[in-house]
Amino acid sequence: MRRWGALLLAGALVAGVLGAASAQGARRGGTLRAGLDSDPPNMDPHRSTAAVDRQVFQNLYDKLVDTDQNLAIVPMLATSWTVSPDGRTVTLKLRQGVKFQDGTPFGAEAVKYNFDRMRDPKFPSARRSEIRPVTDVVVVDPSTVQIKLERPYSPLLYVLTDRAGMMVSPAAAQKEGVNFALHPVGTGPFSFVEKIPQDHITLQRNPAYWQPGQPYLDRIVYRPFPDDNARVANLKSGDVDIINVVPLPQVKTLAQEARQPGARFRLLEHGAFAWQGIWLNVTKPPFDNKLLRQALSAAIDRNAIANVVLQGAAYPAYSFFPNGTPAYDPAWKIPPRDIRLAKEKLQAAGHPGGFSFTLLTLPGEQQQSIGQAVQSMAAEAGIQVKLQIIEFGQMLDETDHLRHQAALLGWSGRPDPDFDIYPFVTQSGIGSFNDAGYTNPKVQELLDAARILQDMSQRRRAYSEVTKILADDMPYVWLYFPKEYKLVSTRVRGFVHVPDGMMRFRAVWLAP
Amino acid sequence: MTRFLARRLLQMIPVLFFVSVIIFVLINLVPGDAARLFLGEEAPPEALASLRRELGLDQPLYIQYLRWVGGMMRGDFGRSFKDNRPVLATLLQKVPVTAELTAAALLIAWAIAIPAGVLAAWRQRTAADYGASATALVGLSIPNFWLGIMLIYLFAVHLRWLPASGFAPPTEDLGRNLRTIVMPAFVLGVVLAAVVMRQLRSSMVEVLAADFVRTAQAKGLAARAVLVRHALRNAVIPVVTVMGIQMGTLLGGAVITETIFAVPGLGQLAVNAIYTRDYPMLEGVVMTSALAILLINLLVDVVYSLIDPRIKLAGGRS
Repeated sequence: MRRWGALLLAGALVAGVLGAASAQGARRGGTLRAGLDSDPPNMDPHRSTAAVDRQVFQNLYDKLVDTDQNLAIVPMLATSWTVSPDGRTVTLKLRQGVKFQDGTPFGAEAVKYNFDRMRDPKFPSARRSEIRPVTDVVVVDPSTVQIKLERPYSPLLYVLTDRAGMMVSPAAAQKEGVNFALHPVGTGPFSFVEKIPQDHITLQRNPAYWQPGQPYLDRIVYRPFPDDNARVANLKSGDVDIINVVPLPQVKTLAQEARQPGARFRLLEHGAFAWQGIWLNVTKPPFDNKLLRQALSAAIDRNAIANVVLQGAAYPAYSFFPNGTPAYDPAWKIPPRDIRLAKEKLQAAGHPGGFSFTLLTLPGEQQQSIGQAVQSMAAEAGIQVKLQIIEFGQMLDETDHLRHQAALLGWSGRPDPDFDIYPFVTQSGIGSFNDAGYTNPKVQELLDAARILQDMSQRRRAYSEVTKILADDMPYVWLYFPKEYKLVSTRVRGFVHVPDGMMRFRAVWLAP
Repeated sequence: MTRFLARRLLQMIPVLFFVSVIIFVLINLVPGDAARLFLGEEAPPEALASLRRELGLDQPLYIQYLRWVGGMMRGDFGRSFKDNRPVLATLLQKVPVTAELTAAALLIAWAIAIPAGVLAAWRQRTAADYGASATALVGLSIPNFWLGIMLIYLFAVHLRWLPASGFAPPTEDLGRNLRTIVMPAFVLGVVLAAVVMRQLRSSMVEVLAADFVRTAQAKGLAARAVLVRHALRNAVIPVVTVMGIQMGTLLGGAVITETIFAVPGLGQLAVNAIYTRDYPMLEGVVMTSALAILLINLLVDVVYSLIDPRIKLAGGRS
């Protein structure tokens, strides 16, 4: 017993020493090279629409608040926040002594300017819908602002952890106008040096960063590698130190390689954040018939898709809320595949011999293997799936105008559950997110209520209720929640893997 | 010669005009709204309208076309929809990269194809001939994205001799430039080498059976002299034609090769412009490629007359 105690004590000491060493041993300097899955098109956070832009933004801009690795909201440019009892005023206390990279002081006026910029009807901002309930921003004193809302809006703080919360320099934004994206200025740990389209984006250390001692790196160079295999090969060869997207079908092999002695990279895994499935257009045949939607859903083996096709790199899905996110309800069970039930539904729908439909998919190995799996699963129930591969712009055009029958499409996920479900199944999203053309007054009512409720356990109950309705109406056939992966060189230290997949480098350093 | 060049250059104008109409119509026929892709999924109608105004997409198509062509005549190719960067500046950044890549691919193709083609024709129906032809068939059949990845794994991941990707301008660092360009150029050159080798072999076989070759041999010239000075020079003309035709393929192949090796050239630019509906950028890339192919074909015609003085470059009427 005493020996075990001594061992435990020794272990604790070693762990403590190691922990202290890693915090103290952070080495200053060096260039981190990050591989991205595509070339970030736009460096203005208020205009950006590409998910990949957000990777660069994490280090160029600070947000009003941030999320930690448990998806809790933590201070960033705002040090504290309070919500008024009626839920219609959110007061933010701002960090003092912060300057933008061009020297402009950050404060309440700058926050007001940023909100006005996003809300300006003449400015083509992509953020407006996220902050639509905001009616005004009031400067209380130089380090306090109040955000006025037309109604309580519980997702607001989470929205401010993303692009809508990224503060751009008012001086630079006024000077550059629409060219701000070419010369972006924020308060982040790294400032912009250059962007050569399709080649690289370079950021350099912001010496006046408000967090003393940080960042450690001198430079970050982002390079795009649209080809999955090429991106992985560049990490393995040491040409880049981290990649943002790891192709799911390769995860199993990469995990084995990373475990071998002398491996030069690590595979980091986190719970899921995104969702994937099939939109069924309920406004036209065949899927205007609910029984046919249910028949298709019953024919799908979600466990096989997650565990066989994707080799365990995803969870099977039966809702819009991935395992581990705040609205996830462990009570949901994945229904087993049931061909008999599918055939009963076909019979009841008056299609005992089955039916056929066209499933649109995006290009890419993973999308195609999922499409083919669905095709063969559905075929056993007598449902014929014709696969059609189209490029993203064309896909949006088809789904926006509800011309498709079915489309294999997903969502990258947001820290607040509202933006994982609301626009996808309500009137507001028709023509954009709601690719089923589906509406249901009960669903609308519950989701509106969830926006007003401040307490997550109450909101979760509303979301569970909606999920039950959707599981019956089935406008969207949930398939899987892809897990979040990063492939990182062993040189990279201090990297915190946040489930939103965004790479924050301010505390990262490079081992020699 | 001068009159020939002048006439050919003038002839390019209607061709380029025709290309500009085709590309403009095609781009506008493709479904997908640039403003919508730009602003994303939940863009409010008023933001879409203001962006369309900003990009000039609210104008009738013929006005958009005239603006674009008028701008190009003044050397203004417009600005990228994505980040408002001038298209011409981006093109000028990318053209040298793709030019170097295709030139290097061409050199590699020659270095492989000429000796192999000559050997195969000289040693007809021997193991060398069959070996060379079989290799050419393999070269033609290998998908270049696969070959690219295999080379990266061999030379960058395992042997660590070459960087896996990227590009360094020759003016900055010539050594690194050559190290980055060799793999993509090889991948691009292999298919061309196969085409050229097969063409050269068949035209060499024909020429080697001609009377003047027999005469040369009868005069007691060394085999080497017969091959290089007499046979090759005559056999190479159809090969030059094939190379001219293959330039289009080479530029097309550059799209895939540049993507695999992350080479920032015209190919990658085109792919990105298509995916993001960056019309001005895409139009700029197509016009540049069309101009490049026209100029290369002109060059091929000039090369003919250098190889074979009997071919005259007709200026004016002929």
